[in-house]
Amino acid sequence: MSSKEQFGSRWGLILATLGMAVGTGNIWRFPRIVASNGGGSFLVAWVVFLLIWSIPLMMAEFAFGKRTRKGTVGAISSLIGDKFGWMGGWAALCATAIAFYYSVVAGWCVRYLWASLSGELATKESAVLWANFTSSYEPILTHLVVISACVAIVWFGVKGIERVAKVLIPTLFVLVVILTVRAVTLPGAEKGLEFLFTPDWSALADYKIWLEALTQNAWDTGAGWGLILTYAVYMKAREDIPLNACLIGFGNNSVSLMAGIMVLCTVFAINPAAQNEIVGAGNEGLTFIWMPQLFAAMPAGQIFMTIFFLALTFAAVTSMVSMIELAARNVMDGGVPRRKAVAWVGGAVAVFGIPSALSLDVFANQDWVWGVGLMLSGLFFALAARKFGVEKLRTEDINGEGSDIKVGRWWNFVISVLVPIEAIVLMVWWLWSAAKDNPNWLDVFSSFSVGTVIVQWAIGLTALILYNRWRIKRQEAS
Amino acid sequence: MNTSAIVMMVLMCGFVWGGFLFLLTKAIRSEADKS
Repeated sequence: MSSKEQFGSRWGLILATLGMAVGTGNIWRFPRIVASNGGGSFLVAWVVFLLIWSIPLMMAEFAFGKRTRKGTVGAISSLIGDKFGWMGGWAALCATAIAFYYSVVAGWCVRYLWASLSGELATKESAVLWANFTSSYEPILTHLVVISACVAIVWFGVKGIERVAKVLIPTLFVLVVILTVRAVTLPGAEKGLEFLFTPDWSALADYKIWLEALTQNAWDTGAGWGLILTYAVYMKAREDIPLNACLIGFGNNSVSLMAGIMVLCTVFAINPAAQNEIVGAGNEGLTFIWMPQLFAAMPAGQIFMTIFFLALTFAAVTSMVSMIELAARNVMDGGVPRRKAVAWVGGAVAVFGIPSALSLDVFANQDWVWGVGLMLSGLFFALAARKFGVEKLRTEDINGEGSDIKVGRWWNFVISVLVPIEAIVLMVWWLWSAAKDNPNWLDVFSSFSVGTVIVQWAIGLTALILYNRWRIKRQEAS
Repeated sequence: MNTSAIVMMVLMCGFVWGGFLFLLTKAIRSEADKS
């Protein structure tokens, strides 16, 4: 790796990693999930899992990347042996498969940003715009615009990522603060705050609340995806790990909390009668159908609608950039120059994102298969840390040179015992939930079946294990 | 707003946002000390 491939400062690393963590899930998923899972009680469980899932996994990923200076495949191979390289490959596969459709999501945000700016959303019903847009070829165009922009950023290496993050992330924070302040100052907004924060303590006895809180942390902090590991490859040798991991975890959840307040205060101030319908409308329904209607009904709504979609676009693009870098880093570790690797990855995302751009069913299927796959990815990182030696990782890397705070032995227990249990319980719960009320649960071609997960995972894992064997043989031969 | 909602709001916002600002301040001080 050339000396140029390093973050210029700690703030560059933190902002780029925050950009990775803060995505559309913070803005469009968190408010819905907290609203439909006991409000204040859910927040308690959500904070608990920030501390016993997200932050410990982030620390492990930082340590892996900083120690090995390699992408997910190389890092796992270096840490616990070449024969386990496929486990790092799984993280790369999940992140790349998510990039295929996440680029489409970012494209939707760009389309709605344009519709807000041009006034199209003020004159056209949002549900009609959404139906017309998603049934046309336009999503391919916006998907290609996003992937081109992201490739252009990653093309210039980590310096390009850092420069963009330094502009977009502070701006994103300011935009979310503006929207939150506007929402809480709307007449009737206190009802939204009351709905969000009133605790229902009996809900804490319901295991589903805890599983939803863990899922939210697993999906919206980016812990266990391999993305933090990838950015850690470029951190300075004497850079802190534990404080940075905590800062990113708390920063990400700060944005989620603001988004929750913003969305629920807006809903209760503008259209309280439709709260159940809005919360139950799904990610796309809430964001692209209901939010434009709510903004249109408030004073200076077009301005706030534009700010909302601008924030969403920034959040999506900075997360997308990290996924491309993850895939490109693994290709570069195979000896391919950066620009060629980025072009290959960009081309693959452009082509394989098209099915999701054309069909919401394909999109939903891919979101389901690889979203659950991320939990397996988190499990692999925890198992890798366990096999390598958690005490060694903690004392030599996490608490190593440059650390601002020291992490105690509690981390050893959390990463080697708790995180694997959490990951296994989550995967089993999600698959069981998909099977219990679905008579076609083994149907491979159903969007949300267990069968589609098993088949796609089996194909991916088989390919990765075979590729890993070939890679080891090639290394031995040379 | 009811009292329990106000208490929960103060606790959650205090912990999450307060935690973030505390950690950010610590990082800023650490960088200042290093330079």
